[in-house]
Amino acid sequence: MSGRSVAIVGGVTTKFGVRPSTWSELAQEVGAALFRAVPELRADEVDSLFVGAAEPERFAFQSHVAPLAAEQMGLTPTHILQRNELACASGQSAIRSAYAAIASGLSDVAVAVGLEKMNIPSMAEANSAMGCVMDRSWDGPHGATAPPFFAMVAQRHMLEYGTTEEQLAAVSEKNHRFANTNPTAQFHEKTFSRDKLLRLPIIAPPLRLGDCSSMTDGAAAVVLTSEEGARRFTDTPAWIRGSGQYSDFHNLANAGSLTEWTGLTRAAREALSGAGIGIHDLDLAEVHDCFSISEIVEYEALGLCAPGEGGRFAADGRGDLGGDLVVNPRGGLLGCGHPLGATGIAQAVEVFQQFSSAVPAARQVPDPEWALVHNLSGSANVHSVMVYQRGGAA
Amino acid sequence: MSTDTRPRRSVTSALVSPPEPPAAKSADPPTPPPRPKSAGKLPFLLDFFPLETADQTRLHRFFERLGEGRLSTTRCRRDGELHWPPRTACPKCHLEELDWVDLPELGHLYAFSAVLAGAPLGMEADVPFAVGLVDLDGAPLRLFGRIEGRPWTELRIGQPVRVETYDIGDGRMFYRFRTVG
Repeated sequence: MSGRSVAIVGGVTTKFGVRPSTWSELAQEVGAALFRAVPELRADEVDSLFVGAAEPERFAFQSHVAPLAAEQMGLTPTHILQRNELACASGQSAIRSAYAAIASGLSDVAVAVGLEKMNIPSMAEANSAMGCVMDRSWDGPHGATAPPFFAMVAQRHMLEYGTTEEQLAAVSEKNHRFANTNPTAQFHEKTFSRDKLLRLPIIAPPLRLGDCSSMTDGAAAVVLTSEEGARRFTDTPAWIRGSGQYSDFHNLANAGSLTEWTGLTRAAREALSGAGIGIHDLDLAEVHDCFSISEIVEYEALGLCAPGEGGRFAADGRGDLGGDLVVNPRGGLLGCGHPLGATGIAQAVEVFQQFSSAVPAARQVPDPEWALVHNLSGSANVHSVMVYQRGGAA
Repeated sequence: MSTDTRPRRSVTSALVSPPEPPAAKSADPPTPPPRPKSAGKLPFLLDFFPLETADQTRLHRFFERLGEGRLSTTRCRRDGELHWPPRTACPKCHLEELDWVDLPELGHLYAFSAVLAGAPLGMEADVPFAVGLVDLDGAPLRLFGRIEGRPWTELRIGQPVRVETYDIGDGRMFYRFRTVG
């Protein structure tokens, strides 16, 4: 890794859920919230804006969203203004671009914002929007969307390793329980016992409603600076120490093994080695639990347990507070909802707030120093990983 | 001071100059067949089924062969790589000279699920419908597709299936799988 050190020095998440707000109103809301959360930030020093937005054309009939977001947020970037689209990982894509811009010296103070408006009057149109994340000409006509794909991952995992519905429910129960500590989570006030989860309707067998993240409206934003600027904002910057990304297919025919996410293994190895640490040095991880089975496969691909052991890892609480590694203390996508472009930013906000002890005690990881954030996109065909370190010298 | 010494052509002369002679050789036929009149029950940008005719896609042969009941794909003339989906350039060696080859009609379910809720626009009436990944017998390809013939509750991994081509209702052709036995 070369270039200047880069840190997240502040951030904010709006309420996630079914919001009576337009895309632009969410942008205004997150802008106002960001300047309240980071009072040291001056609008005129933000030289670059990166906008994580997966499908505004579909959900809001809006293109050219970067200048629109800038206007709504009261920003007038002078160096780099761009949208980042990487479906479900658009948020982390925006952070990665801001990181590259600051590290290279092209930017000094950047904002990465992510937002998505997904709840529209026609659910069928929204489902079509989710379908065109896939290879629309070849997989789309068959009715490919995320739930049946990840359901096949779960089916194969059950066949190959004996993973059970109860183990899937253990992931969902944990993340919903964490979401009960997070007022911005879509399901902040709803409780889901493992027993209740196992009685919810099946969406795509074997996945039930509680195994699936939801269609969510929401936004999140972070401020990034170089080492020269970080101390003006916070004593606990979240330094970006490693980054990795890997993609090896798009059409579902080319997925290979459904249960071995080698792309995640490679991306995580790249990010961890950049940081000079191993997986067992981490204090918390925000991983992409778009479905309960995803988190189970991710435990294995990250090397937290052996292949096939992910279900037991979940059921034994090894990803819970007091376990091997706290995974998804924010509440995950299952508990918080999944506004595509906002998710990756909200994960980073959680890391920053964990580092600065700004989360409720019920989910505070004791004295965390290292955190990993993982976003996947599409049919788990792209894996994006970043590793953060708290405070300390640049 | 400009250093451009190229001869200048006025806009007018460009507009009135004779047309370029036709290219000696074109990958596409000179007069594409008209699109089916009934195409597009859904607005174009909400319709997952692709446009199939030669004026829209260089892979029109794929769809013409579907009309003959044949599921086919491309194979690289140089390295023999079998592609899915069919392509216009080999991803391995980037050769653009590809051959069409028929694919096996039979295969087995590698994995499957079903859409019980959340179908895209135009597919709501199909719910519940099964989808799966099919290992083709005798070809190194695992295709995703709709699984017809049995409800999802009666499907099992390993279930034999057969390729089926069908008219989607407006003259365009597509493919799916149907259970055998």
